[in-house]
Amino acid sequence: MTQVHIDTPVQPDAPAPHKMTARNVDVFYGSKQAIKDVSIDVDMDRVTAFIGPSGCGKSTFLRTLNRMNDTVSSARVTGDIRLDGDDIYSPQMDVVQLRARVGMVFQKPNPFPKSIYENVAYGPRIHGLAAARGEMDEIVEGSLKRAGLWEEVKDRLSDSGTALSGGQQQRLCIARAIAVDPEVILMDEPCSALDPIATAKIEELIHELRGRYAIVIVTHNMQQAARVSQRTAFFHLGTLVEYGETSEIFTNPREVRTKDYITGRYG
Amino acid sequence: MTGMVAQMPDRDRKVAERVPTDWKTGAMQTRIRRRYAAERRFRFMGLAAVVLSAAFLAFLLVTMLAQGLRGFTETRLALPIDFAAAGLEVTPAQLEQRGADAALASAGLERVVDNAAVAAFGPDGMDLISDTAWIRVGERLKADPGLLGGQAVIAVPASAGVDLAAKSGDTPLDARVAELRAQNRLTTGFAWGFLTGADSTDPTRVGIWGALKGSILTMVVTLLLAFPIGVLSAVYLEEYAPRNRWTDLIEVSINNLAAVPSIIFGLLGLAVFLATFQMPRSAALVGGLTLALMTMPVIVIAGRNAVKAVPPSIRDAALGIGASRVQVVFHHVIPLALPGILTGTIIGMARALGETAPLLMIGMRAFIAGPPGGFTSPATALPVQVFLWSDEVSRGFVEKTSAAIIVLLVFLLAMNGLAIYLRNKFEQRW
Repeated sequence: MTQVHIDTPVQPDAPAPHKMTARNVDVFYGSKQAIKDVSIDVDMDRVTAFIGPSGCGKSTFLRTLNRMNDTVSSARVTGDIRLDGDDIYSPQMDVVQLRARVGMVFQKPNPFPKSIYENVAYGPRIHGLAAARGEMDEIVEGSLKRAGLWEEVKDRLSDSGTALSGGQQQRLCIARAIAVDPEVILMDEPCSALDPIATAKIEELIHELRGRYAIVIVTHNMQQAARVSQRTAFFHLGTLVEYGETSEIFTNPREVRTKDYITGRYG
Repeated sequence: MTGMVAQMPDRDRKVAERVPTDWKTGAMQTRIRRRYAAERRFRFMGLAAVVLSAAFLAFLLVTMLAQGLRGFTETRLALPIDFAAAGLEVTPAQLEQRGADAALASAGLERVVDNAAVAAFGPDGMDLISDTAWIRVGERLKADPGLLGGQAVIAVPASAGVDLAAKSGDTPLDARVAELRAQNRLTTGFAWGFLTGADSTDPTRVGIWGALKGSILTMVVTLLLAFPIGVLSAVYLEEYAPRNRWTDLIEVSINNLAAVPSIIFGLLGLAVFLATFQMPRSAALVGGLTLALMTMPVIVIAGRNAVKAVPPSIRDAALGIGASRVQVVFHHVIPLALPGILTGTIIGMARALGETAPLLMIGMRAFIAGPPGGFTSPATALPVQVFLWSDEVSRGFVEKTSAAIIVLLVFLLAMNGLAIYLRNKFEQRW
């Protein structure tokens, strides 16, 4: 078992508490263990990237952070995961509210087969975030602007969200996620189905969103991890091999396995 | 390398050194020709199957229409009546009040009409006009009370014998009908009575409305029960139920239920609804309950498949922004599955509409001379009416049977048309 090093950012003042903390997390699918003893911190104002070869458990671990694994009946999670100090797996935690606070963007763009407006308005509506129609319009406009999609769709808000291009659909999904005003945004390989130009736009967007949300992104693309993240976690065979500042991981990895992976020896 | 290969046994050498394929040999050309022939053969067989089934359908429709359209018409006789001379003891004022029918009956309108028929057509006059002719005269009088003081020529329905002779011939009355036709006294008109009346023993007096209303009431009960229960079961089994031995058992049972012969559902309805719960016999309510049992499995199976076909990414998307399970189901899964659910519902309802056997078992084959008043009053249904009329001895019922089949088919088409309209309306692309 590799010793996992968790380093806290060195700050002159008292360090801000972590937004999310995971300690000794194990995930089982039936009797098969998919995640082994992972501990990690997620901070505000930062992008945390999870990298690793296919099947290493990075997506599985991401989905434990907003309890999306609950939908898989055979999945079992042990360990301690906290959002602002509250155990998200405790019976007191309302999973619906948790997922509103910890939003998610998926690998394949999955807009609802509804209008662009309805796609963004759906979340705020079910959570009762807008009292009046005008307020909803503001939320929709603001979310689309922050997702960098407003200029492209402002004249066709009633068109179907599925009629947009792949990159636009993914930005629509990001707008849909930020419309419910989450604190953390989980992104599960958000660019893997997109072309390089659309990918660049999403990366730029992640950069802009960083100031407001804690962002966790799973990616296969190491250049992308290097470009968008401040901290990187390298997963392998269900374990967290190394976690630290992105610059450290990519220039001076402590572990041989990390070095082999980022230099393309395997993966 | 080659030296090594040469030393190998025969088979190993073949494995190591594969000869490049020659795509131009005669055998290859033959294979290509055979492939094209197989394509052509298959296309031809498919086309032949489509043409054959279209021909069957056309044959059915043509024979039905040829037979049945006559069922919607009636033969009428022009009957001159001198009301002033007949001395009916009714005042025009009485005709405008309620109870006009009773006043006309007690004043002896039937006798007046019969006498007029004898006067107009000779001693056999009374056999030429329908027993209900005086009712038609009465309606005419109510519409125009001024006729009481004068004379009028009123087209009254002809008797069953005249009607049959006029429409198809080959009856003892043929000569008489030819004579009447020569005198220009025979006309043909649309039989409104067929659309508004109910069952009768006289083929000229039967109507389809009683059976149609019975079918509508039965279908309403079936739909109200089978659709919500079927859809909710399908959604629960797909979205909520854990996968274990019990749900497997339920799944197998539902699949088996869909294949159970309908008459067994009829027996079940007889035993449960009539014997145990003492519900009214021959009622649309019981018919609907029985047919709902039969329709529900079809809707459950189609509904489950439709729910299964909703992409999981849509569920993830909704869950990911904090929708609850119920919100996911009602905002996303059901709307997207609705076209498929409706397709299943169409199939189930169409089968229920055409079902005769279970309705016979619960007594909906009784002779009921008036349209049902409600869900619990005695009723019959269209397919049962077809069955009953096809069993009648009188030749006049042949065309009425075909006409009833046309009404059944039109009802079926209307129901399917509505469902297809709804399905297209809810159809979404993702």
